Amino acid sequence: MISATARRALLAQNRQLLRSQFTPIVGGRARWAATSSSGTPPESVYVPGGPVYKGSVNDPTPFPTPSKAHGSHHWAFERLLAAGLVPLTGVAFVTSGSHYPVLDGVLALSLIVHSHIGFDSVVVDYLDTRKKPVIGQVAKWGLRAATTAALVGVYQFNTNDIGLTELIAKVWTA
Amino acid sequence: MSFATGIVARQCRRSALGLPRAISSSAKASLAQPVPPEQPPSPQAKPPLIKEFKIYRWNPDEPEKKPSLQSYKVDLNQCGPMILDALIKIKNEMDPTLTFRRSCREGICGSCAMNIDGQNTLACLCRIDRAETKDTKIYPLPHMYVVKDLVPDLTLFFKQYKSVEPYLKNDNPPEKGEFLQTQEDRKKLDGLYECILCACCSTSCPSYWWNQDVYLGPAALLHSYRWIADSRDSYAAQRKEKLQNTFSLYRCHTILNCSRTCPKGLEPGTAIAKIKLEMAAE
Repeated sequence: MISATARRALLAQNRQLLRSQFTPIVGGRARWAATSSSGTPPESVYVPGGPVYKGSVNDPTPFPTPSKAHGSHHWAFERLLAAGLVPLTGVAFVTSGSHYPVLDGVLALSLIVHSHIGFDSVVVDYLDTRKKPVIGQVAKWGLRAATTAALVGVYQFNTNDIGLTELIAKVWTA
Repeated sequence: MSFATGIVARQCRRSALGLPRAISSSAKASLAQPVPPEQPPSPQAKPPLIKEFKIYRWNPDEPEKKPSLQSYKVDLNQCGPMILDALIKIKNEMDPTLTFRRSCREGICGSCAMNIDGQNTLACLCRIDRAETKDTKIYPLPHMYVVKDLVPDLTLFFKQYKSVEPYLKNDNPPEKGEFLQTQEDRKKLDGLYECILCACCSTSCPSYWWNQDVYLGPAALLHSYRWIADSRDSYAAQRKEKLQNTFSLYRCHTILNCSRTCPKGLEPGTAIAKIKLEMAAE
């Protein structure tokens, strides 16, 4: 934590810097050149606890490189999968997992992928690596490991044991 | 004619007062009468209706002092009906240091957006709750950097607005005259063009609270869709292409606080859903 006095000093310093940058005086360019080696306007100075702007206050915010896999395709897949889970779950009620092992496997796989996307959304919202470089990575890879473990577990369980639907039916009536 | 009498009356008074030069005014002479001294309340006058306002205060010149709620008691029978009237009355009569933005006082400029009793809204469009027993709490827009008291820092908000290129882009303008548009195409812009960028929606969105450095927020996305939907704009594909990433658009989780809070009754949530649908259907 930075002390209040230090923060105030920084604010004052920042204000002075802003004034020196944006006052239209003769030789203003030369001043820029003196404060930054590239000769371009320096980026806004970061004040602890204050906002972080990319570029000057008049620049638009930048966009990341476009990627449909992270954009519309991801969204469409997520929504179609969520919608598809409704009939899949309904089917599981009227059929038996041991007679239709493929359906049982598809349901299990869809549930895991659906959960993975949901948890991934949580991680990106709250623990993204741009803000939490360490915990973010731990959460991201932890989730991937958990999903992989779940996939392996469900595969083992569905091939060597009674399968997901039968298990839930058994637990339900137990 | 009342106009003539006004001028005559003014001429007379000017000569009587002996002013050095003419004062030009279109106001009626009757309006220029001095305010009579305050009369003692007559039995017919309304009894005072004292309402407590608790207002967020923070002064950047005293950074070591924590933000706090300051209480003001206002007689609602001596005050206009809206929250903004009360704020102006407080600033005029009780505490000139109270800082807030306001301009048009009729819900068209979007300056006086603030959080009133837990709801983001425009102070000029929000009626004062006349229940005497309940206080009214006024905060700046939530989760924004505060400049002073009720003034939030909207720099990033407007940088984001700028990033959606909120202007008509078309490489092939009509040879002669203006762009023509069918009535159906024009109807698509209703509910979009009315946005006044008061930032009530964006600052009510939890996704915007946590990720405002990368997520555009409902207001900027509504404006993005306003130009995507415009039949005269030929850059819809490029506008949508820019949103193809994890953050700019897809941090919207359809919480719909935006549509609920909009003081203009618009639906940014619907606009965002339409962008998502158009992008998925591409």
